Amino acid sequence: MSSHAKAAKKFIADRERTAWHDQALYFVREKRDRMAHGVPEWEALRKTASRMKKHTISNLAYYLEMFERNATANGAHVHWAKDAEEHNRIVYDIIQRHGGKHLIKSKSMLSEECGLTPYLEERGVEAVESDLGERIMQFMGTPPSHIVLPAIHVKREEVGKVFEKELHTEPGNSDPTYLTHAARKALRQNFLNADIAMTGVNFAVASSGAFVVCTNEGNADMGTSFPKVHIAIMGMEKVVPDYDALALYVRLLARSATGQPSTTYTSHYKKPVEGQEMHIVIVDNGRSDILGNPDHVNMLKCLRCGSCINTCPVYRRTGGYSYSYFIPGPIGINLGMLRSPEKYSGNVSACTLCHSCSNVCPAKIDLAEQIYKWRQQLDPLHLASSEKKFIVKGLKLVMEHPAMFYSAIKAGRLAEKMPRFVLYNSLDAWGIGRELPDFAPETFNEMWKKGEVK
Amino acid sequence: MSSRDEILARLKQNAIKPEPRPEADFQPLTFTNPVEQFQKILQVAGANSVLLEKGEDVNEIIRKTYPEAKTIASNLPGINCATVNPDLLEDPRELNGTDVAVIRGEFGVLENGMVWIKQQTRHKALFFISEALVILLNRDNLVNNMHEAYARPGFDDYGYGCFIAGPSKTADIEQALVIGAHGARSVTVILE
Repeated sequence: MSSHAKAAKKFIADRERTAWHDQALYFVREKRDRMAHGVPEWEALRKTASRMKKHTISNLAYYLEMFERNATANGAHVHWAKDAEEHNRIVYDIIQRHGGKHLIKSKSMLSEECGLTPYLEERGVEAVESDLGERIMQFMGTPPSHIVLPAIHVKREEVGKVFEKELHTEPGNSDPTYLTHAARKALRQNFLNADIAMTGVNFAVASSGAFVVCTNEGNADMGTSFPKVHIAIMGMEKVVPDYDALALYVRLLARSATGQPSTTYTSHYKKPVEGQEMHIVIVDNGRSDILGNPDHVNMLKCLRCGSCINTCPVYRRTGGYSYSYFIPGPIGINLGMLRSPEKYSGNVSACTLCHSCSNVCPAKIDLAEQIYKWRQQLDPLHLASSEKKFIVKGLKLVMEHPAMFYSAIKAGRLAEKMPRFVLYNSLDAWGIGRELPDFAPETFNEMWKKGEVK
Repeated sequence: MSSRDEILARLKQNAIKPEPRPEADFQPLTFTNPVEQFQKILQVAGANSVLLEKGEDVNEIIRKTYPEAKTIASNLPGINCATVNPDLLEDPRELNGTDVAVIRGEFGVLENGMVWIKQQTRHKALFFISEALVILLNRDNLVNNMHEAYARPGFDDYGYGCFIAGPSKTADIEQALVIGAHGARSVTVILE
């Protein structure tokens, strides 16, 4: 059984919760559909956005250097990090130079990728997540289960309980408005007392040297409004050529992610404000390897909108924690395999190949096609399940010999009448959590011979 | 070799065949009745909007919309309902507790309800920390979509700028929409 299937078993044991999770995500997917249908040129927009990404990643060094040049001219300090370790060190050095102790953070998948928060905490720097969902997860001591909706798997009662402990809210009050406003009040103090601000980067505009951060809560902007230092961290693929290209992505991002026409705040940081230092850390951490991988180079087109996750029937029914990589869903299956097939191959089975992800992706990434390709690689990488290999070998033999095939069908008919303990037991992984379909009374071949097929 | 040079060398080594820049071959969304559409989409974004009629006083509208407001911060000329000039404050933290901030928007975007706000005060904190935000906007400055927004002459002329679409919001607890996460709980756009 794959690591995903094993972990999912725990999640699906609570059927009501599984259904609730499924519906919560599908609700977001439906909102996305309404937004897409409201833009007549939606498909052309996706196509252009996808080709613009291809253009950008095929000139990645050129655009990154242009961004660096312009950002530097604007007064920002640009740093380059080869890997997670170097990224963390650069960030810590900046903090240390300013004697920082309290970092206020907006949401960044890159910081999760690099393990920044634990790195800083080990060194005595407190890193406070300011996005509500991320803050809930920080209080709970568990990672986000979705890249855009970090606490999508958490029920309001559970939020109420953890806020009761951390923020001393009224016992038993789990009203989302009450809890959100309690977090607003508490985090206001964190904003005012922070000495270092950190944000991610949604888009870096090469032609201008500006970078764009999108939030609904306004937490990135609140965070950067008080400290003397702003550190922005970005994966290399976040660069876009210019404002014309940016327009495509700003139109697509929120509509695809949460089904809104736009995020509430789409902030453009270009020059450090008076008395503030602005640092931009450009991170590779495996991205240049993806560029050199023709089957998977399209992963560099990802906007991190999460629409592939929301639509995925497997994600919706198994939750983010069933995946062994920190990014779940179709995007995470692929990025995990690019990170380490040895560590993360247990996720490639978490796909029905329905291709819904490929069809909603605003950058038209061939997500499902790539998962299929990874599955073909499992055997050459010596990661295929021996049980499945054995079954496939047997199937091959049967399929190549018609006589064996027909006797197998007859045997199957007989098997159908066998007691459950014979059909469903621990030797048969397929039968765990699945029911055998009923055999049709006649095979197509029999019907054909009798002239029943017109 | 520095990390920068190493990374750039790797990118050049792994470079794929250069793809030409695509031409946008579509007609983006446009609207026939700009003011009506803008008021409609602002509502979707959770913002109020007011059409300022000839002879009406902005200050009266602000007072009427936020009758409870004690601190009103603005550096705009003609906003005499303001109780604080935010530019006279040394520390942006002093803005905490502001009830209403009155600022100027450059232009609005019809497809999504965004208003482009350039830094116009000493502390940008004002746009986010006040309980309510009043944005004054010339009703002739409306563009259809983001393509037109970014193509406006001189767009890149800012140090910090933000598109704001309605009040701060979140749905991080069970997808229930809550207004007033960290920023303004209420946004009123006054179309002059």
